[in-house]
Amino acid sequence: MIKGITLRTVAALWLILAAWTLQAQVTIKGKVTDDAHEPLIGVNILVKNSTAGSVSELDGTFELTVPNPYVTLVFSYIGYSTQEVALKGQTTIDVTLSEGSQLLNEVVVVGYGTQRKSDVTGSVASVKSEDIQKIATSSVTQALQGKVAGVQVTASSGRPGDGAVVRVRGVGTFNGTAPIYVVDGVILDNMDFLNPSDIESIEVLKDASAAAIYGTRGANGVIMVTTKKGRQSDKTHFSFNSYVGQQRVAQKIDLVNARDYAQLSNEAAMNTGTPKPFADPDALGEGTDWQDVIFRDAMIQNYNLSANGGNDKILFNLSADVFRQEGIVRSSYFNRYSFRANNEYRLTKDVKVGHNLMYQFTDNNNEPGGILFTAYTADPTVVARDSAGNFGNTSNRSNVSNPAAQLEYNEYNRGYAQQLIGNVFGEVYILRNFTFRSTFNFSMGNSRGKSFTPEFFVNDKQFNPESILSVSLNRSRDWQWENTLTYTKAWDLHRVTVLGGVTSQARDFENWGGSRRRLVGDAEEFYYLNAGDIETQTNFNGASQEKYYSYLFRLNYAFKDRYLLTASFRRDGSSKFGSERRFGNFMSVAAAWRVIEESFMRNQDFFSNLKLRLSWGVLGNDKIPYTAAIPTVTSNLNAVFGTTEDLLFGATPTRLANSFLQWEESKTTDIGIDIGVLNNRLTLEVDRYIRKTFEILLPVPIPDYVGSEGDPYVNAANLENRGWELTINWRDRLGKVAYHIGGIGSYNKNEVLSLGTGNEAIIAGGVSGGGFSTRSEVGIPIGSFYGYEVEGIYQNQADLDNFPKRGDEKPGDLRFADTNGDGVISTDDRVFIGNALPDYIYGFNAGLEFAGLDLSVDFNGVYGNELYNAKKMDRFFGVTNFETSFLDRWNGENTSNTEPRVTNGGYPNYAVSERFIEDGSFLRLRSVMLGYTLPESLTGKIKMERLRIYFSATNPLTWSTYSGYSPEVTSESAIDNGIDRGIYPVAKVFTFGIQAGF
Amino acid sequence: MTYKSITRYAILTLVLAVSSTACKQEWLEVKPQGELTTGNFFQEEDHAVWATNAVYSMLRDWNVHAFNYVGMTDIASDDADKGSLINDAIFLADLDNFTLDAGHQSPASIWNGYYQSIYRANVAIENIPNIPEMNETLRQRLIGECKFLRAYYYFNLVRWFGDIPLITRALQPDEYYTQTRTPAAQVYQQIILDLTEAAAVLPLKSQYAPGDLGRASQGAAKGILAKVYLTLGDFANAETAALEVINSGQYALYPNFAKIFQREGEHSSESVFEVSCVALETGGGGSQYNQIQGVRGTPNLGWGFNQPTTSLRSAFETGDPRRNATILEVGETLPDGSAIVLDNPDMLNESYNQKAWVPEHVGFQENSPGNIRLLRYADVLLIAAEALNENGKSQDALVYLNMVRARAKGNSTNPNLLPPVTVTDKDQLRQRIWNERRAELALEQHRWFDLVRQGRAAAVMQAHGKTNFMAGKHELFPIPQSEVDLSGGLLTQNPFYE
Repeated sequence: MIKGITLRTVAALWLILAAWTLQAQVTIKGKVTDDAHEPLIGVNILVKNSTAGSVSELDGTFELTVPNPYVTLVFSYIGYSTQEVALKGQTTIDVTLSEGSQLLNEVVVVGYGTQRKSDVTGSVASVKSEDIQKIATSSVTQALQGKVAGVQVTASSGRPGDGAVVRVRGVGTFNGTAPIYVVDGVILDNMDFLNPSDIESIEVLKDASAAAIYGTRGANGVIMVTTKKGRQSDKTHFSFNSYVGQQRVAQKIDLVNARDYAQLSNEAAMNTGTPKPFADPDALGEGTDWQDVIFRDAMIQNYNLSANGGNDKILFNLSADVFRQEGIVRSSYFNRYSFRANNEYRLTKDVKVGHNLMYQFTDNNNEPGGILFTAYTADPTVVARDSAGNFGNTSNRSNVSNPAAQLEYNEYNRGYAQQLIGNVFGEVYILRNFTFRSTFNFSMGNSRGKSFTPEFFVNDKQFNPESILSVSLNRSRDWQWENTLTYTKAWDLHRVTVLGGVTSQARDFENWGGSRRRLVGDAEEFYYLNAGDIETQTNFNGASQEKYYSYLFRLNYAFKDRYLLTASFRRDGSSKFGSERRFGNFMSVAAAWRVIEESFMRNQDFFSNLKLRLSWGVLGNDKIPYTAAIPTVTSNLNAVFGTTEDLLFGATPTRLANSFLQWEESKTTDIGIDIGVLNNRLTLEVDRYIRKTFEILLPVPIPDYVGSEGDPYVNAANLENRGWELTINWRDRLGKVAYHIGGIGSYNKNEVLSLGTGNEAIIAGGVSGGGFSTRSEVGIPIGSFYGYEVEGIYQNQADLDNFPKRGDEKPGDLRFADTNGDGVISTDDRVFIGNALPDYIYGFNAGLEFAGLDLSVDFNGVYGNELYNAKKMDRFFGVTNFETSFLDRWNGENTSNTEPRVTNGGYPNYAVSERFIEDGSFLRLRSVMLGYTLPESLTGKIKMERLRIYFSATNPLTWSTYSGYSPEVTSESAIDNGIDRGIYPVAKVFTFGIQAGF
Repeated sequence: MTYKSITRYAILTLVLAVSSTACKQEWLEVKPQGELTTGNFFQEEDHAVWATNAVYSMLRDWNVHAFNYVGMTDIASDDADKGSLINDAIFLADLDNFTLDAGHQSPASIWNGYYQSIYRANVAIENIPNIPEMNETLRQRLIGECKFLRAYYYFNLVRWFGDIPLITRALQPDEYYTQTRTPAAQVYQQIILDLTEAAAVLPLKSQYAPGDLGRASQGAAKGILAKVYLTLGDFANAETAALEVINSGQYALYPNFAKIFQREGEHSSESVFEVSCVALETGGGGSQYNQIQGVRGTPNLGWGFNQPTTSLRSAFETGDPRRNATILEVGETLPDGSAIVLDNPDMLNESYNQKAWVPEHVGFQENSPGNIRLLRYADVLLIAAEALNENGKSQDALVYLNMVRARAKGNSTNPNLLPPVTVTDKDQLRQRIWNERRAELALEQHRWFDLVRQGRAAAVMQAHGKTNFMAGKHELFPIPQSEVDLSGGLLTQNPFYE
């Protein structure tokens, strides 16, 4: 089995080691350190003009056999200037390497290793720790917004603890469009558990070459996170970071007041021929603003303490973090307490072991279910509570609950979780050029949920006849065992790194839960199932499992530091597919040419960097449920029989499966150029990519007559994304002022190339009233909005007579375009009316530093997308409240040509049409930060290394015409995208913070 | 040792690891956790019972016998209006007023629910014969039950939609998009075949063990068959099938009409086929049939849909006690005497379907315990009466018609109350039988199908003020637009819905 394989690998490697014998001639010993006298590990040491060489050990020492003690040694190391040292007869020599040009020798993390930025052949973008910490949030994904060209981060929920939807280079598939996250080597589906202040850097692997080492998992891009590691140092560095702040809803929805509600309700009644519900709307005044009832100004705070240091045996980085956030919707909150220990132990000069461990526990409370919708829809003529303290009845004219009563009775929705995520690894340096690394990665978690609703009665639509408690427990376990062997060698003008490895992974998930009613009391001490009536008990328990097995291989080759080649291959097996189609092969090649190194570039000083990159590769995706290929039998389809009315067990297959499922593949071609001019004051990166996804796994709608519950997954569609990416930065000084200004921008165009065998359009995006708002069809972008084009409004009977119609329209109704020109309006006249995928995603930022002061601003935005305002369309529950756009309604000839007469559902005014399409473009001032770092002369006196205080504002300003809480509306599913059915609004956050180092 | 040989060792090691394929295949074999698969299902007798129960369980489904079911029967007919608040579920008003188009959610949800039920029946009918070892009698009975249920589901579908895809086995992937509409006549042939085959193997109602009460019996199969023949205008066969039920000695009219619809009337002597529902503390055995029609607001906390019309009120003969047993008016005491129906100021013409009323019960309202009476003996008697009259046997017809009237009259000695019908003129008697059906079966979701079957839907609807009703169009509901779209045009639309 798996253990056997890896044990064999280890055994073989030790054999190689044992067989090693030294062919001594002259042995040179020494130590390589950096400017700070810290030992450098893995420095390449080469005898000039020969192939003999060595690599420095963990403590920086090296041994090298040379033919005579008069040769010249070449010391080279990633990120440092190469140094040549003539031995001149010495056999012991210590060398100090200086860091090379900061920019070009920047090290970036790539899968299963690091590379100098200058050696990178693929498209890799880096984000530094400082940039992530500018945003006051628990979510690292949210903090990534607007930082990387080609990466769209949409924070469509402001609920405390919620993350964001991340898309790298457009939408490459239909359902799971999220990238994978690799945190210190651990492959995960999420990185929002991380503390922003623990992060050293984030790298986004965008093209196939960069991501190919993650094969099957990398098709939607790879986001690699490196957390802070210990550094060797004479003293331990402590740092304390903290901020406190206040949040407020960034934007309320414009809803009508009581008077207008009554007026519009009367018109709606008149239009449907029913009695007017309100005798005198003018007497009603403003009424209740239900949004004010549920929103509040909420607190956010974060405290982080860390210690970093080490010696030649142990390196450590320890941190503890407390994050507490109240939600801007009353009763919601999220608290997180986490601890991290990233340590490394050098056991011998050839062996090191280490761990990156994070443990955290969280507790949170979710707002009452649906309260944002009830605040949006509740009748404004009703009071939250009357003078006697009774809750107002908001369900007279609709089925909408009183939000204030929901806050009273439905507020207990607790969650508790703990997680242990990290890895333990060992590294052995063998034969100077080989590194064997074995890593055990894991992510273990369990979470509990508990919700309680007391018995209550507000009115006949809002009541609970018996108290009820529901509890649930989830346990997830994910481990990966990775064994890699890396060979690094440099000789003459060549540098080679070869990586090979075998990995296995198993994930399993299990949940339990139950409920009971009629608890013995309503207080929290009774919130246990034992306090409920056993007669009412329900329970559940289920599980899922998936496994992977992979081989990986990568070759990096550099010739003369200017011709670079990367080739990688990964073979992945996934348990989600049938045994015939389980394995997929994924490969990539990339080449780069560092033109700047060429001799013809020597005599110019305009360009300081010039590199061309070209890559091609294939990646996979297997984001389907673990039993999608196996037809399962659904249990508990029970029937009642017998004189005693017994519930008898039933079971049958109800869901179709597809045993022919196989990997989805995406092929990306990328061409890029990196330019630095004026000594890298100006840097520019431009990429052009074409990404085609084939055999996309998706549940293809089948006709209901087939009788399946849900649609089976099929390798059905092909998609294409083409785009441009641009990153530009200017960094300079003006006297004592250091400043920088930069921007990112990307353009992406999505097109469906084919859909299944018959190219049947995929209809999705269900909206109120049973309609569907999106359609994916060959030749257009995925998930485009599809409905009627609005030409105007039938102003009078003459219009009804003259213009095409369906037949039952009345004056004041929307007049749709007869797009097929057949003289009548029918479903055949529906056309594409918008798309939720932006054409352009951009961000820009600027900062300056002067005399200890620092100021930075960050903007981000999207352009060229539409949103579907489905909440406005949802009038299923009766005469609910109106958005102020209803005030522009038609109520007589020529009163409006855009907003129809007030009705409460039905064709044509509530059919899917342009009426509900809105512009989704926006520009947001994401953050402004003003900081002051006290001068060292001052901080030194109090034995501090650094002390900075700052004010910051997150989301203070948004420019958008969208009528919802936020123009950021999205979903993981590409065919259900940009439909606003109600979201938890985002907040503006104002914080005061302190950063101290000592 | 040279670098070359080291490299060779390293490569050898990797090759070794890579080549251990046997292990990885076993490692990657993951079974569904906690679920049977089609690979290990239909292996033993229990599986046959479970698969059959799963077909029955659809009878309590929202998409089969709840909201849209009542919408596309009673609310569409002249017996009931949408009910509830004016704006609550306003889409049901489209059914009431015949303003629905092909994109309407009600036909789509019905279509979905019924075809899922048919799929379950097909799976059972296909696989139960192949179970290696089981009691043969039980095997035949279960197949018979599933055929009965398949026929029942198809019978409703064909009456709502006309020509429909006739699917009698689980489709293969290459057949998902290729189905076309089978002419209604052929669908009826399949229904008749299924019911005939079911009747041949199903036990009589009395032959079932007490624990099996509620399973389809021979009488149920023949009763539905009688109604199928009546719908087709095949009065000879309708007469035969109905009389077989009557002469089986299994059924008798329940003396108290009002009580049929209460707890004590569940599976009464009059029950030919009904769906058992039970309110358990732990849920899972109820339906929403009662909830959607229950009294809106306190004291019953139902939704108040399916509101009886004035037309229905006046359809009862003077003093007919069935009117009171059918319609629950404001101010009236609830059947269990627990409270009085209060006026809800936000509802117009407030009144309720008393036949769907249930008293307070455990669990929430969606846990409704009221059985759904799908075929009553009175219905069979009236089918017999109607067929006999059409076959020129009016005297025999009168016997069955007057049995129903006599029971309705109850203990009353008033000679003017529901006197026996004596008219023997075929046309006049037909009209009397039709009137009787309306009064007897009101708000039990039969009226709409009766009107269409009798060919007078347009006339009655227009007379009732439903002026949108278009003859030749609205007798059928539209094939769901999404189905037409998915079929790429292979499924045609019903007339005038395109």
